[in-house]
Amino acid sequence: MDVKCNGTLWWSECFQERRNMVTAKSAEEIPKRLLVLACAVMEREIRQFQNGRAEFRFFDYGLHRTPENMAKTLQIEIDQAAKEEYDGIVLGYGLCSNGIVGVSSRKQPLIIPRIHDCISLFLGSSESYRDQTARQPGTYYLTSGWIEKGQTPLSKYEDYSRSYDRETAMWVLKEEMKHYTRIAMIDTGVADLSTYRNYARRNADLLGLQYEELQGSLSFFKKLLWGPWDKDFLIIEKDQSVFQDIFMES
Amino acid sequence: MSFRGSTIRPDESMNGQILRQVAEAVVQRDCKAVESFTAKMAERRMDVFQIINEGLIPGMLAASQKFRKSEFFIPELLMASRAVKLGLHVLRPLMREKNKQVVGRVVIGSVKFDLHDIGKNLVIIVLEGNGFDVIDLGVDVSPEKFVRAVEKHDAQILAMSSLLTSTMPWMKTTIQLLRSSSMTGVKILIGGAPVTQVYAQNIGADGYCREATSAPAIAKDLLGIKGLQSGNESR
Repeated sequence: MDVKCNGTLWWSECFQERRNMVTAKSAEEIPKRLLVLACAVMEREIRQFQNGRAEFRFFDYGLHRTPENMAKTLQIEIDQAAKEEYDGIVLGYGLCSNGIVGVSSRKQPLIIPRIHDCISLFLGSSESYRDQTARQPGTYYLTSGWIEKGQTPLSKYEDYSRSYDRETAMWVLKEEMKHYTRIAMIDTGVADLSTYRNYARRNADLLGLQYEELQGSLSFFKKLLWGPWDKDFLIIEKDQSVFQDIFMES
Repeated sequence: MSFRGSTIRPDESMNGQILRQVAEAVVQRDCKAVESFTAKMAERRMDVFQIINEGLIPGMLAASQKFRKSEFFIPELLMASRAVKLGLHVLRPLMREKNKQVVGRVVIGSVKFDLHDIGKNLVIIVLEGNGFDVIDLGVDVSPEKFVRAVEKHDAQILAMSSLLTSTMPWMKTTIQLLRSSSMTGVKILIGGAPVTQVYAQNIGADGYCREATSAPAIAKDLLGIKGLQSGNESR
């Protein structure tokens, strides 16, 4: 059924109809051959659940800076996948500042974690992320993948220092981060923390923030790759597209 | 430069030129130039709201558009907004003199658990530059705090910003709380990068700002005030 949000259908009805198409699947129903499209920051965690039935593609973290390019990049891959015999496409992305809005697949269902951003994945659940946010909303999260492939306050400072003098670069960084109070390094157990601890601490020291290590989890990643795709996931059937409101329940 | 054959009077043309120069200085993030052009315009006794709306704000809008197109990044956006702030600082005494009666009172903040305020601070700059009295509650503002502040300051507009899709639902919660109070006439204006017109309509906001620089026009529209030029003159 094709549902269009175009004024002919009252918006909330439209939302309700589309939400009804999003259904949870039990482990037995999970398709056999998957294509996994994910952000490079979570490559190490995702690869823990590599088996013969999934193919992986990872994309540059830089797509987060331009949400419109994220959807375009993913759409190209999804369109390409229509020519292949995959049974489903798993996205290692949350709503990511609307970065995946508009994405649709004309052949296979899309399986998406029902999260706003990947911190829920690293912490193991949206609940843990909510708890951490309530504890300290001004938290900048780091993981091993994030340090290697994402952005950190230190990497931003270095970036800014390439275009501006140190004093200006520091002014920009401090303006940008002025409400942050904590750097939290999440340990999902996939990398040796001692390799990253020093760098993570330096980020906190640079801005005089509190430093904390948080116990992460691989359970959400495992469910993403192996199921079951329960309430924490959205299954977008073929020819339907991702839209913001299906992430907005809580 | 010759003005022969032109209907534009030399002083008007000169004003236009300096307005373009100050806008360009904002885009170039040249604080000293912004300050000196602004001071020069003030000396020429140009209308303070013309300086803001035809000089400083178009400069900020151009910078924001470059940010949207990835020609500018966070540093450039912050520096451009610092330059506009300096320009407004020069004009503040004149604004006070001219703007004896405020256009409207706005309570503003970033919603609960949201620490982002670059966009919100821009909105404050342009609203103040247009004669609004703005009460800034800062970041991570709870629904209760918003509603208390609206009541305390007798604000006509409540403006909320969110940069995270995860904090956007707090806008809805705040609106519900405000609507359940006795302050039924208060208008609600929302904005922030992930916020859309559809979302604004769905949660019952009265206005949606896609660009920070559009806030004064939308706010005036919500209050039924015409024109952007000046504060008390337009009432």
